[in-house]
Amino acid sequence: MTVGTHSGRRHDVPPAGTAAPGRAGPRRRFDLLPYALVTPLTLFIVALALVPAGVTIVQSFFRVDELDPPTRFTGLDNFRQLFADGAVRSSLVNTGLYVVIGVLLSTVLGIVMAVTLQRPFRGRSILIAVLILPWALPGVVEGLVWTGIWDANIGLLNSVLTSTHLISHYQVFLGQHRFLTILAIELVQVWQMTPLSTLLILASLQNIPSELYEAAVLDGCTPWQALRRITLPLARPGIAIAMVQAVIATLNVFDQPYVLNGSADTGASLTMQTYFISFQNLDFGEGYALSLLITVATLILSLGVVKLVYRQVEF
Amino acid sequence: MTAFRYSRSVHLAGALVLVGAVATGCGGGKTGSGGSDKTTGVTITVALATEPPPQASIDAFTKSTGITVKWTNTDWDSLQTKIAAAATAKTYFADATDVDWSRVGQLGKLNWFYPMENYLDTKALAAEMPQLTSFSSNGHVVGIPYDASFLVTTVNKKLFTKAGISTMPTTIDEYTADLKQIKSKNVAQYPLNIPFAAAEGLSTYWYQTTAAFGGTILDGSGKPQFATPDSPGYRAAQWMVDAIKQGLVPPGNINVADSQGQQTLMAKGVVASTFADYSGNVGSLYSVPASSTVVDQVAYLSTPGVGGAGPNMSNPDGIGIPRQAKYPAAAAKFIDWFTSAQNQADFAGASGPDKVMPGYFLPSRLAGMAELTQKGKLIGGQQLADLLKNSAKPVFPEGAPSWYPEFSKSVYTSLHAAATGSMSVDDAIHAMAGTANKLSS
Repeated sequence: MTVGTHSGRRHDVPPAGTAAPGRAGPRRRFDLLPYALVTPLTLFIVALALVPAGVTIVQSFFRVDELDPPTRFTGLDNFRQLFADGAVRSSLVNTGLYVVIGVLLSTVLGIVMAVTLQRPFRGRSILIAVLILPWALPGVVEGLVWTGIWDANIGLLNSVLTSTHLISHYQVFLGQHRFLTILAIELVQVWQMTPLSTLLILASLQNIPSELYEAAVLDGCTPWQALRRITLPLARPGIAIAMVQAVIATLNVFDQPYVLNGSADTGASLTMQTYFISFQNLDFGEGYALSLLITVATLILSLGVVKLVYRQVEF
Repeated sequence: MTAFRYSRSVHLAGALVLVGAVATGCGGGKTGSGGSDKTTGVTITVALATEPPPQASIDAFTKSTGITVKWTNTDWDSLQTKIAAAATAKTYFADATDVDWSRVGQLGKLNWFYPMENYLDTKALAAEMPQLTSFSSNGHVVGIPYDASFLVTTVNKKLFTKAGISTMPTTIDEYTADLKQIKSKNVAQYPLNIPFAAAEGLSTYWYQTTAAFGGTILDGSGKPQFATPDSPGYRAAQWMVDAIKQGLVPPGNINVADSQGQQTLMAKGVVASTFADYSGNVGSLYSVPASSTVVDQVAYLSTPGVGGAGPNMSNPDGIGIPRQAKYPAAAAKFIDWFTSAQNQADFAGASGPDKVMPGYFLPSRLAGMAELTQKGKLIGGQQLADLLKNSAKPVFPEGAPSWYPEFSKSVYTSLHAAATGSMSVDDAIHAMAGTANKLSS
């Protein structure tokens, strides 16, 4: 058995039925079925992802304002206006904080929970089922639930903290201080994202052969060393995927800040600005431009995470 | 092998069917403007941010007209997004849908809705519906108000009396002094509810307070009327921010929205008054034991103004017909039925619980309001009817500007920031006025 992590390609034996190089094999009949099977999905992707993406790219260079027709080419004006907009700049900082806090926390918590769930124990499957619940809830519902926790007048957290004499009077968690507001909002999103991160990392951990841990114990390896030298390196594919989904979710966060903190600058995200610009101001050109920037940022950050964290693992 | 071939054929056929379905799905659904004039044997979609009337009432409408109604209840924000997206894409979305008073200027300028005067006698309706003026834009009526909503001051009389206040305030100065007395006598730690969350409710609260101070928000050309420190709008903003700084408003209210404050503070007796409350809340919220601990304690108060009773700002909900409607004439028949005086009175409870439309409290027609009041089915009915007829005024007498949503966002984010202390009142007013000046020029 060989174990390793590398980013090179695996040299496989040619599949059965494939002619070896230099030999003329039997001529295969053209098979329509695979193409027919992938065509519906391809059409879906083209119609619902590629075409809108193309339209977004093109229209972001046009003034598309329902209140100021007609549509006309304006070059980079939409992008200039975005960067001149104080609300957008403020949301850019907020979103950066959402990404940093959200990705770090959900990944660390995901690893901890996945390692905890790695070995079988009584009630493990029930625990996993319960764990998934926050992930299954819509963001708006979570926002409403957590409003009851963070509320500064009648919230659960204030009630608990005052009754345990940790604070003397009710505190304002949302809307007063930017960092505290963002932290409180992002904790709600982390609560939602972590189950998926856990499952993705857990799936990677399940592939690690138990013989590796047995051999490590024989070599005098401590649990902490086993975690560092075996578990984490071999879970890198799962961790990378978990981090990418966290990057995508946090860069596009909308429901939680909108429900918990309204439109206030202390918590507004970039996707909220996209909504305001497009559907309140009806300035779709600027909305397209901001959507494009968010998409590009998502791609760059996701590729960065993959490059930094992902390693191909073979057993 | 035969089975294998059969299986592959079935898979291939299935895949081709899927391709066809996808292609149909992608290409279908487009409907241009200029719908059918048919008014019988058709099904119309009604999309509003409210529960439907009782099924029996809708069935009766279908039986008498031949029009089947498919009701879609969508939350207000999502509904506005759908309206904008469908109109921009020139795609069918509903035959009748929400027309909010604040969007009238935008909808009128964009010509997204049919003029209602094409279908109904709007001149006759204007005499019966005082708030119809809030739905006029460029000489056209964009929607018909289906309920009467305006802002009104509510007070918890028990808490006022407990603080030794026997005469209710009639001016803003008396009102402020009374609130301070309630606080100083420790009857309520925070006597006033102002929803300082950065949301639309904060804007409308400020509009109402500005009206109480004797002013307006914008002039006919959209220029701000609140930029100088002696203007009513400026003083109203200062009064609101001072109220939270002086401890009259709960500190946590910087993140409390309007309905949230009414439900969790006013209805629970935590605060003693809401200056800009929803009309109808006394009967529908504060007097309902299931949702209130202050039953029979809260009453409406004529708006305390600068020198006496001030006006009440209208914010009614309306219904109109989008340009992409499939059956505009049938939709108009439905709107005519839906806003009739008898139905409105029934929906609000005049004829018993079987005909009640959940969440519907105040008829937009004076006749509907009168019937409800005569039958004693509306708490404070006579007072509300008088306010609706004589005191309820549109926020923008010239009609809401087409750029209202952007302006309102500037208002509520700036006032919210002033309440949190991250911005002075002067800076907030400066930002709001700057937005209005930029958008109106």
